[in-house]
Amino acid sequence: MTEPDAPSDTQATYVFAVCRNADLSAVAELPGVTVDAPVTALPLGKLTAIVQSVRAAEFTDEAWQARLSDQQALERYARAHHEVVSAVAARCPAVPLPMATLYHGEDRAREALSQEEGRFEAVLKRIERHTEWGLKVYATPSSPVDTAPAPVHRVTPTGRSSPEPGAGLAYLNRKRDVQERRERSTDEALRAADLVDAEVCRLAAASRRLRPHPQPSADRRVQVLNATYLVDERRTGELALLTQTLRDRTGAQIELSGPWVPYSFVGEVQP
Amino acid sequence: MTDVDFRQDRYPVSGPQTTNLADILERVLDKGIVIAGDIKIDLLDIELLTIRLRLFVASVDTAKKAGIDWWENDPALSSRASRNALQDENRDLRQRLDELESNEENRGP
Repeated sequence: MTEPDAPSDTQATYVFAVCRNADLSAVAELPGVTVDAPVTALPLGKLTAIVQSVRAAEFTDEAWQARLSDQQALERYARAHHEVVSAVAARCPAVPLPMATLYHGEDRAREALSQEEGRFEAVLKRIERHTEWGLKVYATPSSPVDTAPAPVHRVTPTGRSSPEPGAGLAYLNRKRDVQERRERSTDEALRAADLVDAEVCRLAAASRRLRPHPQPSADRRVQVLNATYLVDERRTGELALLTQTLRDRTGAQIELSGPWVPYSFVGEVQP
Repeated sequence: MTDVDFRQDRYPVSGPQTTNLADILERVLDKGIVIAGDIKIDLLDIELLTIRLRLFVASVDTAKKAGIDWWENDPALSSRASRNALQDENRDLRQRLDELESNEENRGP
């Protein structure tokens, strides 16, 4: 797949992250997004970009569109990107860039990224000694077991069975009860989600609500909160304790994931 | 600000090792610091992408429920199907043999 202006030997520069006091030991062995060239450091002055030289023809918009329709390909690239970003951030303060940030070569990358140095510095300052923690709350729908007695059937003289008078009404009442129970449990779960979010916000430096993920159909749980928090490293232990306390208090299922590189808290920072 | 050395164990950030794809996608796709690149990549809105991926996963589930499970009967895709294919062929051959034999009898000597 080649474009007229991008013959197959043209190289592009893929940028993973920008960091301070770059330490490449963690990424040297990682494959990155191509096998053609190693992941390397590109000095930008005081900061360093973590980059990889890729074939331009394999990283066109067209190529990415094809990847986005192929779950396995998309997963491979997303994980490869994430792996490099995480490895860098494990060794030095780093600002993650979104997947598929590409330049026409290293000179262009250096030029464009250097212009943003103020923003990078501001972000590094904000996320210094902080990590991101994801938190999800699930509602488990009450089991739809019907506790009402089964309708009584009487046998008519002809031997045919017919429902007791009022059976239709009883059926509707039972249906209404089930519906009400379901609504009540959803309300309770949403209230629990708000409470959990409010409590964790008090401990976090910043928070963001993400879109709840739909669950696979085999999973009867409903995700009522998908939030993410920027937390001071020194408070990580407190967060774990708080999560357990909230589990006990609300009875809700709470999943904590992390530590993440603070992807969700670098976008809106102004220099 | 003075330069502080955050290296090694003093900055112990790493991604969770076992993370689901949706968690990673919602972070690497529409988060991170957005710097204009030279090559314009139009990554879908995460919502559209999630829906697309979900359809991809759900379609197998839904199709099975709807009884559209052609791949289970496709010899190229299923070992059970290849066994079925042999049984089917066997049955067809028997049937044809029966037909031939009965034709033979009807014609008589």
